[in-house]
Amino acid sequence: MTLDELNRRLSAARAATEARGETFYPGPSRIHLAAYPPKERWDHWVELDSRAWPERREHRYMLVPTTCFNCESACGLLAYVDQATHQVRKFEGNPEHPGSRGRNCAKGPATINQVTDPDRILYPLKRAGARGEGSWVQVSWEEALSDIARRIGRAIAENRHNEVMYHVGRPGEDGFTERILAAWGVDGHNSHTNVCSSGGRAGYQYWMGYDRPSPDHANARVILLVSAHLETGHYFNPHAQRVIDAKQNGAKLIVFDTRLSNTATHADHWVSSYPGSEAAILLAVANYLIQHNLYNREFVRRWFNWQEYLEAERSDLVPTFENFERALKDRYRSYTFDFAARESGVDAETIAEIARVVSTAGTRLSTHNWRSAAAGNEGGWQVSRSLFFLNALMGAVAVPGGTYPNAWNKFVPRPIYTPPHPPRWNELTWPLEYPLAMNELSFLLPHFLKDGRGRIDVYFTRVYNPVWTNPDGFSWIEVLTDEQLVGLHVALTPTWNETAYFADYVLPMGHSSERHDLHSYETHDAQWIGFRQPVLRAARVRMNQPVRDTREVNPGEVWEENEFWMDLTWRIDPDGQLGIRKYVESKKAPGEKLTVDEYYAYAFEHSVPGLPERASAEGLTPLQYMRRYGAFEIERTIGPIYAQEVPPDDLQDIGEDHLGRVYTRAPKDPSPNVVPQPSPDPDAEGRRAVGVRIDGKILRGFPTPSGRLEFYSRTLARWGWTECTVPTYLPSHVHPDKLEDGQMPLISTFRLPVHIHTRSANAKWLDEIAHTNPLWIHPVDAARVGVRTAQLVRVETEIGYFVVKAWVTEGIRPGVVACSHHMGRWKVGDNGQRQLMATVALQQRGSTWDLARRTNVEPYPSTDPDTGRIWWTDAGVHQNMTFPVHPDPISGQHCWHQAVRVRRAEPDDAYGDISVDTEKARIVYQQWLQKTRPAHRYSPDRTRRPFWLLRPLKPPKEHFRLPEPVTR
Amino acid sequence: MELLRALGALAEPPHPETARLAALLELPVPSSEEYTRLFLFELYPFASVYLGDEGMLGGEARDRIAGFWRALGEPPPAEPDHLAVLLSLYAHLADLERKAPPERAAVFRRPRAALLWEHLLSWVPIFLDKLQQTGPPAYVAWGGLVREVLEREAWDMPYSGSLPLHLRSAPPAWDAAGARPDVLVTMLTPVRSGLILTRSDVGRAARDLGVGLRAGERRYALHAMASQDPGRLVRWLAEYAREAAEAHRRLNGWLGPVADFWARRARNTADYLANAQTSPPCERAGIDHRAP
Repeated sequence: MTLDELNRRLSAARAATEARGETFYPGPSRIHLAAYPPKERWDHWVELDSRAWPERREHRYMLVPTTCFNCESACGLLAYVDQATHQVRKFEGNPEHPGSRGRNCAKGPATINQVTDPDRILYPLKRAGARGEGSWVQVSWEEALSDIARRIGRAIAENRHNEVMYHVGRPGEDGFTERILAAWGVDGHNSHTNVCSSGGRAGYQYWMGYDRPSPDHANARVILLVSAHLETGHYFNPHAQRVIDAKQNGAKLIVFDTRLSNTATHADHWVSSYPGSEAAILLAVANYLIQHNLYNREFVRRWFNWQEYLEAERSDLVPTFENFERALKDRYRSYTFDFAARESGVDAETIAEIARVVSTAGTRLSTHNWRSAAAGNEGGWQVSRSLFFLNALMGAVAVPGGTYPNAWNKFVPRPIYTPPHPPRWNELTWPLEYPLAMNELSFLLPHFLKDGRGRIDVYFTRVYNPVWTNPDGFSWIEVLTDEQLVGLHVALTPTWNETAYFADYVLPMGHSSERHDLHSYETHDAQWIGFRQPVLRAARVRMNQPVRDTREVNPGEVWEENEFWMDLTWRIDPDGQLGIRKYVESKKAPGEKLTVDEYYAYAFEHSVPGLPERASAEGLTPLQYMRRYGAFEIERTIGPIYAQEVPPDDLQDIGEDHLGRVYTRAPKDPSPNVVPQPSPDPDAEGRRAVGVRIDGKILRGFPTPSGRLEFYSRTLARWGWTECTVPTYLPSHVHPDKLEDGQMPLISTFRLPVHIHTRSANAKWLDEIAHTNPLWIHPVDAARVGVRTAQLVRVETEIGYFVVKAWVTEGIRPGVVACSHHMGRWKVGDNGQRQLMATVALQQRGSTWDLARRTNVEPYPSTDPDTGRIWWTDAGVHQNMTFPVHPDPISGQHCWHQAVRVRRAEPDDAYGDISVDTEKARIVYQQWLQKTRPAHRYSPDRTRRPFWLLRPLKPPKEHFRLPEPVTR
Repeated sequence: MELLRALGALAEPPHPETARLAALLELPVPSSEEYTRLFLFELYPFASVYLGDEGMLGGEARDRIAGFWRALGEPPPAEPDHLAVLLSLYAHLADLERKAPPERAAVFRRPRAALLWEHLLSWVPIFLDKLQQTGPPAYVAWGGLVREVLEREAWDMPYSGSLPLHLRSAPPAWDAAGARPDVLVTMLTPVRSGLILTRSDVGRAARDLGVGLRAGERRYALHAMASQDPGRLVRWLAEYAREAAEAHRRLNGWLGPVADFWARRARNTADYLANAQTSPPCERAGIDHRAP
């Protein structure tokens, strides 16, 4: 046979193989990235048992995809379900997942530890003694559900909707539970966002309406991270691999991090700035671009709302773009490299070099800030705002290598039901003092309850642990143990946590391989959905063994949330009289409860463009396709939607203001993608905002009041914040000028790369890797304090202190200390996780609380022989309890950085000791409350909040009106 | 160019599907043992081993190849210089050229020719020649087919006539004016010595010379042999280099200056060693034969 004949034969064989949806070149291979089992073999995959070597013992697997639940990246996992035992033996990456592309961090494969954790909660529990006493009895799901449903039903019937609250950590899903609350008519959504990302969000929101960035790292020329995003953080795994892709293509990486983090070690330029000075540096970079005319002039002319800025703040100038450029130069002239150097402690030449690197990026500048400095500082939201300023100046917005608004890289399929948002306003979560807060003032809840602003009858904590995660944990304990303030506390959690001890019911929920969820995240310039599923259920279905209830396949009586919420909702309104039941009723079989199969089948069949066709090509239904592959990419390379022309059909009887904002009477098309969108106000005649006229054409623009990128925010101006209408540097609460003698900033917001808050203490592999959080302290400071590595120090905050080991390192700036918040897990009795939780004693004397360690981590016998091999004793120190609340008056973000004094421990101090005075915590709360500009004094239009801003549950507009009279 | 892609896939560890590919190509099916013996112990299928200044994986040679990927606008894979990867990339460029409209075909033909002459023909024919001598039958047949395809490509694709950069920039092995080289290191650096000296070759030398073969990596084993009978070892190596030079020379018909380069390097090695064959031979040859 000739070479040409061989070539033709191979080509034909490959075409025939791939037409069957199979892989011609199976892995592992360097060529086709097929170091994964080919997908056509996922039903029958054979591997040898490594432990049986040299015997060749085969394991036969069924590979079932799901989505990791150990952070918010939603990376794909493949569960290896043993066909002999019907149990999961391991988790690896799902190569079919567009975000993670088969690559996972340590937390993904460690899911198997959580599934087999001998300490996990397997049955519903009800408290037996006083709340927090630690006595529990096992109860049936029936008993728990009936009790909870009865209580919620009564609250609703008695118009006490605001006494029902659901407090969620990372949701790990897109809107399912919000819609359940909407179905109940309850404005009771409470998130963790204000201890996490509100600062970051606010900065982005004031620019583009959307509150999250979606950087296209892979195609960037310059990447600027105000984060440790190569090791931790939202979407860090999908982002990190793309940052490295870009670096391999020659991109430059700039990292702002006071610590020498793993991310900083990979940077071409590391900026170790004084905490809180980041915006000063970023604005100095912006000033360099502005003064040297290095910005994208045409982009700025078209897309900045410069005309509005001139009208509002420079009415002395004729409103031309040239005059705006002059005004811009005037406005930022004072942000010199020397100024930034003085504020940050970074030398001016380093800042100048960064500015030069940024100026070479063109439109390929990807930037990212989420927590970090934005979450640490009062005014931290100006960090993300100043960071995005650089994108805006360079025109690096929603173009290859730039930064996109998240909503364009996200797809939330319209579900089978979309109940209207609740017709009421909950002041416990959306108080008048914080009209511009990005999300609920969740961490102030104990203080609001103590203030007498309300009470909660049924309080759900869902995979959330405010006692441990939030600042001021002892105030949480005080409230949670007061049955007058919190009537019933239901903890939905896969594993024990510090908050669950103070619950009335502890209800076991599944890990990532034991539950359904649907989600989509902005990992790159594409839109995809990821499907989390109970893998044993999916495996049974493949074996033609139908499962009606996920509890049939989960361990013990562990349930999943979708079925739980649908069942609970049905019980709240069993006869449909309250108008609630209809939102969990089958469409196929009216009168019967909706199943998860019908719920997801509907969304996949009706709301995901391209999925039905793709599934059909493989002879599958859309639901079968998602159960088989776990993810689907709807579209790739979305591009700059803002620059698209508005279609003529959307332009009916249009109106236009003098700034070019265009309004229409055309009804809005019901998009299959229900990703949350800001909603700019209509014009005076009720037309909806549809676009913006630029150079004669009506373009889609941004969902901001002006339709443009808002260099100038009329929202901030009208709500009383006239000093920060444009990107500005606001000195932090830990600015050197605000510190007392002997105080220094403590950075507490950084993570340990293999852990994730309260979700990973039950993962033995991760515990073995990381189980301590010493205080980073520079040798100069250590010498001043008189302490060496491993010696104990007392760290004093405004309300108490904690005792921790020192780690003397040059990896931190002199004059700053740092301690990761991922450690210090504790339990008060026998219940709890033993691999990374110390047992402690809690003692209360008036308003003073002490926490002292009784026993460290130690080996113990269990069903898992590895627990007898535990060699570590440490579990770290819980520092958050010693932090008072610091709500940023604009974003609502808790400003995590602390002004602390560090000194050698007292002779009686022991490692892990914590002491806090909650009366002092009240005083600090009141001091920060004084910083606010409440709606009832500053609202320009007698509303509680600008209607256009995002809100997870958004009551109808009439409920935005201020109550009369306001007494506070 | 599916043929080269499939041949590349056969340079990967055997897999249950390998039999299907081999059958399509009418080749014997290699076993895992044969793969391991050949590619993990004898002939490492990475360009950097044959083109790098140190005769090891990675380094500047791999960086050059990674740079070629970048120049194409593609992120380099983890092992950009693996033979399978290079053959696959070549097949990819050939496919792009075939599918392109005639006026754009040259856009792909130029990098295709560059890949062929710079990063494939600069070492693969030498590598395959060696494989023909020492490889297990299944891979000998595979190597024959790879060579047949590459030779046809060499005739079809334009060639500038200049030496590939890898070879142009290779430092001379036996620079009389320079410092005395570490002969054993040089011998084990193909681009310097012009030789591919495998583990089998070292074992054969021990058998031919009747000296003990100490288990270990090649340099260690050669040191041990040098400590036993340095004179005969140097003579053996010189003869080996002469044979290699002759083998390389025979490739001149289709490789031109590339074959001449390899033949010249091997001949220089043979000459250097021959000149050192007087007592004390190892010392003259620069071999430190003290116990390693």
